[in-house]
Order: sequence, then C-alpha cells, then structure tokens
Amino acid sequence: MEESNGFSYPGLYEIVFMKAEKFINTVLNWGRSNSLWPLTFGTSCCAIEMMTFGATKVDSDRLGVLFTGDSPRQSDLILVSGTITKKMARRLLNVYEQMPDPKYVIAVGACNVSGGLYHDSYNTIEGIDRIMPVDAFIPGCPPRPEEFLDAVRVLQKLIKENKSKAQKNGNIRQA
Amino acid sequence: MVKENSIRLNIGPVHPAMHGVLKLILDVEGDTITKAQTEIGFLHRASEKIAEMRYFSNYYPIMDKLDYVSALNMEILYASVVEKAAGIEIPPRAVYIRTIMAEIQRIMSHLVFIGSFGEDLGNMTGFIWALRERELLMNVVEKISGGRLAPMYICNGGMFYDFPQGIENEILEALSIIEDKVKHEYNAMFTKNQIFLSRTKGIGVLTKDMVKKYGITGPIARASGIRRDLRKVSPYLAYDKVDFNIPVENDGDTYSRFVVRVMEILESIKIIRQCIKDLPAGSSKTAVPWIIRIPKKDTFVKQESSRGEMGIFLVTDGADKPYRLKLRSPTFFAIRALEELLVNIRVADAFVIVASIDPVMGEVDR
Amino acid sequence: MVTLDKLKSGFKGELEVLTEEPKLSIIRIKNKKLIKKVAWQIKEEFDILYALSVVDYTPVFELNYIFSNYRNADSLVLKVNIDEKDFSIDSITDTFNSANWEEREAYDLFGIKFNGHPDLRRILLPEDWPGHPLRKDFKVDDEIRNWTGLDLKF
Repeated sequence: MEESNGFSYPGLYEIVFMKAEKFINTVLNWGRSNSLWPLTFGTSCCAIEMMTFGATKVDSDRLGVLFTGDSPRQSDLILVSGTITKKMARRLLNVYEQMPDPKYVIAVGACNVSGGLYHDSYNTIEGIDRIMPVDAFIPGCPPRPEEFLDAVRVLQKLIKENKSKAQKNGNIRQA
Repeated sequence: MVKENSIRLNIGPVHPAMHGVLKLILDVEGDTITKAQTEIGFLHRASEKIAEMRYFSNYYPIMDKLDYVSALNMEILYASVVEKAAGIEIPPRAVYIRTIMAEIQRIMSHLVFIGSFGEDLGNMTGFIWALRERELLMNVVEKISGGRLAPMYICNGGMFYDFPQGIENEILEALSIIEDKVKHEYNAMFTKNQIFLSRTKGIGVLTKDMVKKYGITGPIARASGIRRDLRKVSPYLAYDKVDFNIPVENDGDTYSRFVVRVMEILESIKIIRQCIKDLPAGSSKTAVPWIIRIPKKDTFVKQESSRGEMGIFLVTDGADKPYRLKLRSPTFFAIRALEELLVNIRVADAFVIVASIDPVMGEVDR
Repeated sequence: MVTLDKLKSGFKGELEVLTEEPKLSIIRIKNKKLIKKVAWQIKEEFDILYALSVVDYTPVFELNYIFSNYRNADSLVLKVNIDEKDFSIDSITDTFNSANWEEREAYDLFGIKFNGHPDLRRILLPEDWPGHPLRKDFKVDDEIRNWTGLDLKF
C-alpha cells in the first residue's frame, strides 16, 4: 500500500483480496446455515415436540437440520429444549463449551425464554440467556413442531447476514 | 472404592440414549457392570411448592408438565382430587369424555415408548412409524382441546369444551388405522424380528419379589406377573361400565414389558370404542366458580396413569390454595430398581433396560 | 380390616383411629418412638410404602405414611407428629424397603433426620443447596429466583 499526503489507497491486490474475502465468507455462511447439525439438549416436555420435529410430519432434514450422533463435538447448533434447573446449569454450560465454533443456540419453550410457568419456582433458571448467548427464542409451552422450523429459518437468515451472536462476538474464524 | 481393573462410567444426564435427564454411575469390569447407582433431580422444578401458591383451578398447566407424555392422565387425576375434596359431582357425559381422553393419552404415551425403545435398539424405522401413528391421535386431541402435548382440556367440574361435532368418527378412524398397524406392522418390526428378540428376551429380569420390594406398579409390575390395575381393582371414571382385559406377562424381562404395553394399546382401543358407543348426551360440565375454597381435610386419590399408579395426597385448610400437595409418582419407585437390575449385565443392554422402564423424568423429579 | 383391629388392641391409648373406611383408613399414633413397631404390624397386611407426605404445621411437622398392598386397592394413612426441637424419627426402611427414597426426599425437602436409614443423602437437590425448600418458612424471593446455581458443586 502506497502512502502519500496522509491518505491511503487500496491497491489492486487489496481490492481483489477484499472481494474474495467477502465472497468466501458468503459461501461459508451459506454452507453453515444449510447444514446446521443440532445437539438435542432435551430435558423435558419440549424434547418430545423436538422428537416430532425430527420425525416424518415436520421433517427437519429438509432444512439441513440432521439429527445425527448427538455429540457436542460434531454439532453447530444446540437446541436447549426443556426447563434448565440450577443443578443442570453447569452441565449445560459444560456441554456448550465442548462445541466447536461457530456455534449457535436456540432456546426452546417458555421456560428457557423467561421462566414461563415455573417463574416462581425455587430451582429453575428464568431464561437461559442469563448464562449463555442465545440466537433465537421459540415461545410456547411447549411450542408446536412447526415453530422449530420457523426458528431454524430465522437462524439461517441471521447467519447469512453475519448477525448471529457467535459472529458478533468474534468467536468465528473468518477467511 | 473402585477396583483396580474396573472403570467408573458416568452416563448422563446429557446422553442421547438416556430418557430425559437420568444419570447412571456404573462400575464396569470389561464389559460387565459390577455396580450401578442412579442420580436423579436434574429436573426438579418444585411442582409441590408451586401448588401452594396457585389457586386450585390454576394448577392444571403444572400437572400437564409432570408426566408430559401422558398429560391428560395427570389432569384427570388432579381434577378427581379437587372434585373429591370439594364434593363436586360431574355429569355422566363428562365421565365418559374423560375416560376416552385418558385412553387416547395412554395409547399416545405407549406409542412414544415403542418409538424410543426402537430408537435405543437401533431401530430407527420403529421410531418413525410410532410417531407417525401418534400424530393421527395428536390431530384428534388438537381438534378437541386446541393443544397438542399439553392440552389443558380438563377443568374443575368437567372440561372446558364439549366434543366438537363429528369427532367420534375421526377418533374411530384413527383407531382402526392404529389397530391395524399395531397388529400387523409392529409385529413384523418388533415381536417377529430376530434381532429384537435376541436383544430383549431374558434381559433385565424383574422378579415378583423385587417388584414388591421396590413398590413398583403399572405395566412394569404387570410384566412380572402381578395382576393389578387400578382400573379394575378400584374402578374410577367409567371403567366399571366397559369390558376390557388386563394384559399380564410372567417373565418379567424387557420383552414382556414391551409386549404388555403393546397389548395395552389394543385394550385401550377396545375401551374407547365402547365409550363412544355409550356416550351419553347432555351437559358436559358442572358449573364451578374459578376460585373455590375447600375446608380442612386430607384427600388421597390414586389412579392408573400410563406408567403406573399416580397418586395425590392433598391437604387443605379452608383457603383457596392447597396447604400441601404431595405427588406420588410411579417411576420414582421403578428407577430405584435399576440399581439392582443393571448388575451383572453388559453395558449395551443397560440402555435397553432403562428404556423398558420408560421413565419420564418430569414425573420422577417433580 | 384385620390389621386395624389388631393395632387398636395392641396399642391402646397410643393409637387413635380418625376415619375407618374400606378404601382408606386414617390412623394417628401419639408417640413417634412407636413407628417401627407399628410399621412391623402393618407389614402383615400392606406390602409397600406407597408415599410419605410431610406437612408443615410449624412448630409441629406431620408425617403421613401411606401404605398399600398388591391384593386390593386399600390404603392406610398413618399420621405421626414430630416436634421441631427433636427433628428426627426412626427409619422404617428395614420393614418397608420402598421407603428408602421417600425418606431421602423428606430429608432433602424438609430436613427431617431418619435414624437408621442406610443412605441418608439429598436426592433431588445438590448436596450444597442452601436450605430445605418445602418448609413454610422458605420463601421464594428474588434472591433465590435470580440465582443461576453456577456456583454449586458439580
């Protein structure tokens, strides 16, 4: 880069590089958003609707959400479905920390959004955004399986626009 | 504590093969389990404390989420306790509708069991099929109540809405499909499948003495040769007016526990058909005010839920909220038997045994 | 019920029958030290401890032992009062094995000590959870609601 009079102009190499970077990031995000392999962190009622989400009627596979091995090491997305109690909170974080970056979080059900029905219970966490970053919330007690599809669509849009929590916090490898 | 050549395995609470958030601590020598411990409480949501803060009519949603796979059974149980304590009579049509809903829920719960049991054995097709059949009844429940998993249908004095017009035919249609599939397809998939048989027969034998030692009830006890079903022993709702059998197996292994539940689906279909045939006309609800006060007394009611005998011990003191509500859950007792059941078996079979108990942790931890 | 008549004659003055119905009888014993003897008598007719419900009438706690059997649907409720100053009672696990976890739960949520229990630990809550939540003096306030529990022992 040549410098004269305090101004700096990007050279041809930089321009090509910036274009390429943008292009590569777009391609990467497209790939990320269309192969969201979930870690099904099901603790209670919402987990049963999550099962329906993976079964025939709603069929998560068509959005690239493949219910595979349920291992945190191979997942991009954690579906926290069901009430998280105080005894469970550390274990949830432990699993979350084992996931490779970039990782996305969907909080399923009223309990994980704001405490829901159990807002005056002594042993639940009122919304998991108190302990971890959350990209999409699904309200409902329990939500319908179709709402899972909606949340995945929202998350895909966020990833494509580079707006997910993981991308904002810089926990992501750029090209 | 742990021997030199043995390993301590911590399985759960987050494990794909675990049903809900159960934790197993296994001491393993080679591939054989020498000692098993269970840890529960990961889903303790304080349902009993919340009961002391809610009006009697406002507690139904919490009952739904106790045993979330058979929510209607829980609602009906709670309604029976409150109505017995407050001395509310419900009209005969409401009794029959409740019986139908309880049995629909029992079928749905057992279908989830079949699906997840198949999934644990590596039989993914069984899982997809069972949930496909369950969806037929889900649609019916949705048309009746407006909700799917947590229908919120029952209230003090009856139910919120009567059956919509023509729903009886839809129920019968769904039932005939399910009966056909269970009798033919599921036999081919499970009970005539050599792989399934060799993985379940003779595994995890629960003897009659063990059942009595641990206080286990429900389908698990019936698979061990104990002929006890509260629907027959002390009939409630409309169970004394219908004709049905109690399926009992004598072996007490995982295979028997599976077969008992499959047979129960067929018996439930029989019950629903008879109830729809005799469904009385008239009102489906006794008008009860939203806030009721119940004088000081103790009430105890137990009913047969999908997993065993669920009971509620209700203590009231004249206020509009319960003074104390104790939930007696069946799987809380059955889970304890795992500590004895899992000893001297292979690790791969442990998951089959846990699945055959069919625990729902919402109800164990409360 | 056969057992009920036997109990009445065996524990004269100490035992009081509150209701006597075929499906559900409720009895009360006045001295908590008798619980093991009474449980042993009850074992003749009832197979299992069905549930154990503790009710907080501070300063007195009422224990409701509910027994049941596998032959019919009869239940028996046995009430025992224990005082807050002497907060313990004999365990009945050696008579009724199914009482094991129910007593652990009562210890967990109310803090009642069961003498002679083989494994008296907390069952639903972690070991270092503060307090016994089902007691009436435990109020669910903002402090406990906002606590995330991340500092609990793993």
